[in-house]
Amino acid sequence: MNCVSYNQSTGILNFPQSTSREQNQQQTTNLVPHPFAGMEKSVMVVGIDDSEQSFYALEWTLQHFFSPSPENSQFKLVIVHAKPSPLTAIGFAGPGTADVVPYVDMDLKRIAARVLEKAKEMCTAKSVNDVTYEVVSGDARNVLCEAVEKHHASVLVVGSHGYGAIKRAVLGSVSDYCAHHAHCSVMIVKKPKIKH
Amino acid sequence: MEETTSGGAAGMVALPPTPPEVEKTMNLLVAIDDSDESFHALQWVLDKIILKQGSVSEAGTDPRQSKVVTIVHVMEPLPRYAFPGGYAVVESASKALEQNASRILSRAFEMCREKSLKAKTLILEGDPKDRICRAVEEMNINLLAIGSRGLGQIKRTFLGSVSDYCAHHAKCPVLVVKPPPTPKKT
Repeated sequence: MNCVSYNQSTGILNFPQSTSREQNQQQTTNLVPHPFAGMEKSVMVVGIDDSEQSFYALEWTLQHFFSPSPENSQFKLVIVHAKPSPLTAIGFAGPGTADVVPYVDMDLKRIAARVLEKAKEMCTAKSVNDVTYEVVSGDARNVLCEAVEKHHASVLVVGSHGYGAIKRAVLGSVSDYCAHHAHCSVMIVKKPKIKH
Repeated sequence: MEETTSGGAAGMVALPPTPPEVEKTMNLLVAIDDSDESFHALQWVLDKIILKQGSVSEAGTDPRQSKVVTIVHVMEPLPRYAFPGGYAVVESASKALEQNASRILSRAFEMCREKSLKAKTLILEGDPKDRICRAVEEMNINLLAIGSRGLGQIKRTFLGSVSDYCAHHAKCPVLVVKPPPTPKKT
């Protein structure tokens, strides 16, 4: 049973460490010398949220850069989820806002846990195990740019229309902001629309 | 109690939403022009995306085979009204443009050859933004790599806009490569 614990002070979701059985399996599957042994891998940060487009972006990234052989990939994957603060999510200040805040906060935490669970599922399905998962509170734009700085990433991957339903009005702008302000190359992955 | 298979067998787990048509070849399009930034973008793509020569991979598959790189340069058509000297002047000016284009592309081709990568080169004419987006559709491109600040000196005021336009309108994922940070002089 996987228990995801949310650390309120650091804002990081903790996943249980991989079991020794998994580690043993990983050691025996590598029969050829690792081509990147001793070479530093570049970091790829993928920003995700609750939307389909950002999961599509993650799936696309995994498919094109981490398969068929994830060990040979040149990139180390870092998945970042920006959890919006309850006040921005509510959007208006009216009577009773203070009462609603804890419920919204709980809801957002649940969404964050669900998002990371799904991301973890997608990664393990593609046998990508060396992943760092982070949930950071704040505005997605700043969170992603800061994550790039923190991990010294060489690529930031974002979905287009990657923000949740509440901010959908200003959607394109998160990927837009990151494309202009991140200090690394930015890959914007769009979910193709089906034309009739 | 899962049994994980070693090697390159693609996972058969269907995950929503799955990108359609899992292709084995990745078609990359790199848009370049006369500026340093776009050559830097090309170099970046070559360094990070194309695996280095001589890397050993499992099961004898060559990872380099799966990536097809096309380098495109879009020439802007000369405004006819700007040349009062007659048709001959326009002819020689467009010849100069074409020579410039082939010089750019041969330099790019050299860069690819250093990585032992056979890239295709392409010269297109027209408005860069539209042409690049149309080329993406026509050539079934998987990833478009474009430098930020990718236009020549004359159009530098409109610079960000080609990469910007492509980032919004291209039908495929777009990789915007930033120039390396310039060291600040005190």
